[in-house]
Amino acid sequence: MNKRLLLVFLMVAGMLPAMAQVQYGTSQYGVRMNIGYNHNTTYGSFATFDFGAFMPINQHFEMQADLRFSTARNHSLGVQVRPKFPVPVGEFFIEGRLLAGLYPRDGFNDLTQALAVGYRMEYVSFQVGMSTRLIMESPYDWHANSNIIVEPFNICYKLEVFVRPQTSPWNISLCASNMTDYQIERVWEPIFMANGMYNIDQNWQINLSALCKPTGMFHLNAKYYAAEVRAGFAYNF
Amino acid sequence: MKRITILSISAILLCACNPDTWNFDVTGMFSGSSAGINERIEDSFRYNDEHGFSVINATSEKYNVFVATDTHVDRSRTNWEQFINAYRADINCPLAIHLGDLVNAQNHWDYMKRPLDSIASNPLKRDTLLTVTGNHDLYFNQWSEYVRLWKTSTYYTIVRTPLGKQDLYIFIDTGEGILGEKQTKWLKETLAWADGQAFRHLVVCTHTHLFKRDSSQGHTSNMPLEETYALLHLLKEHNVEMFWCGHDHAREITNLGQMKSIIVDALFDREPHPAYMVAACGDEPISYRFVELTPLVE
Repeated sequence: MNKRLLLVFLMVAGMLPAMAQVQYGTSQYGVRMNIGYNHNTTYGSFATFDFGAFMPINQHFEMQADLRFSTARNHSLGVQVRPKFPVPVGEFFIEGRLLAGLYPRDGFNDLTQALAVGYRMEYVSFQVGMSTRLIMESPYDWHANSNIIVEPFNICYKLEVFVRPQTSPWNISLCASNMTDYQIERVWEPIFMANGMYNIDQNWQINLSALCKPTGMFHLNAKYYAAEVRAGFAYNF
Repeated sequence: MKRITILSISAILLCACNPDTWNFDVTGMFSGSSAGINERIEDSFRYNDEHGFSVINATSEKYNVFVATDTHVDRSRTNWEQFINAYRADINCPLAIHLGDLVNAQNHWDYMKRPLDSIASNPLKRDTLLTVTGNHDLYFNQWSEYVRLWKTSTYYTIVRTPLGKQDLYIFIDTGEGILGEKQTKWLKETLAWADGQAFRHLVVCTHTHLFKRDSSQGHTSNMPLEETYALLHLLKEHNVEMFWCGHDHAREITNLGQMKSIIVDALFDREPHPAYMVAACGDEPISYRFVELTPLVE
């Protein structure tokens, strides 16, 4: 199992161009689509189909929407809003997220709200915040009085490092976070990602990404839990 | 930048050390040296295959189960001894359960075990202590020590009353926050088998908690979300009455439909509010109370 974990880490570390979800300095609206191969020890292997839109409304505000369908029947729908405050070097931003996780396979849905503050510049992006999760049985039983579970406070964080300035036509980044566009994990479940992108021309971009999600890191007995490899394209207007 | 780097490295080292022996296991955060879940399951199943599952005979239709967790025995074991004294003195307790983290780290196993050998039971009854492994029983490569003393961490036991009613207690290993493929398969098969057996009570016992509803997730990690929902679905699908766990050190009772999930308080000597649970199992739904111990720390 350790070899498997090491292999996944090496794969992630060596991954070339992947998707840059939000490029600092981008002013183009864009849509994107990705197809992914996923594996975790709970579901086994499954495929994911992701669709997203990025909307830089103006210099001080941008939005993002994400939708994921999964053959493992755990889907998600998320919206992110991001007021931005440019400073002489880089920019501060506040990120609000609303993420609905649909788990028809298990008869549960969850709704996670997150609010984070962040700072990003050409080579680095960092954010930290709090999230709240509501977990509901599905279908919801309106006559029961005990089928919503609230996890009120969870810390969320993200640190992403880019090898080139974020405005470059190609880039690679390494990221550690408990947030992806499709899931906000508990604080002690970090997810390690490698992302990259390549702009074919002014409109078309290809991207490739990989992630590894171990479990038991803070049990001091970390083992492989999940991995994902995604490829896709974006069209920027 | 230099200061941040030094602080970050110090934080990682502190996260990964055993303060009693000053052993470090930083690599455990990235690739644990202890046996993984599938290896542990193999060890547990091997023992189960050779010895079968136990049946415990209760002496009355309504009996008590004493439940403790997170004893973290290291330099002292006062609360642990109080717990052993209490369940052994209860004439109506055929079964006590420990939900993991028996020791705080390595080198304390025999010290932890000694009271079990020396404290006498009530001569009018027999009792059994059953355990599951917790993360503190695992890291620093302690699985072999756990197996030496407790043999298995994935199993079930049946408590049979004088009138032949039967209660099923299933123990699962979540010492690193996942069930793994083999254990999940075993749990599914065991719960499916239990469906046809008309057990009076069905309880699942483990170490790691499903949810964290109080105001922080500060010091305990639980399962990945996918695993949480899949396990919860399984428990509900098979009408598990109660899910008993520990790990968090803070009592938390969650009702979800017909199922109740209980995080039992820690019994750690350095815990400000140590307590254990006494569950009463009769013909009605299981009732429970908590026994608060006098704190040994300010």
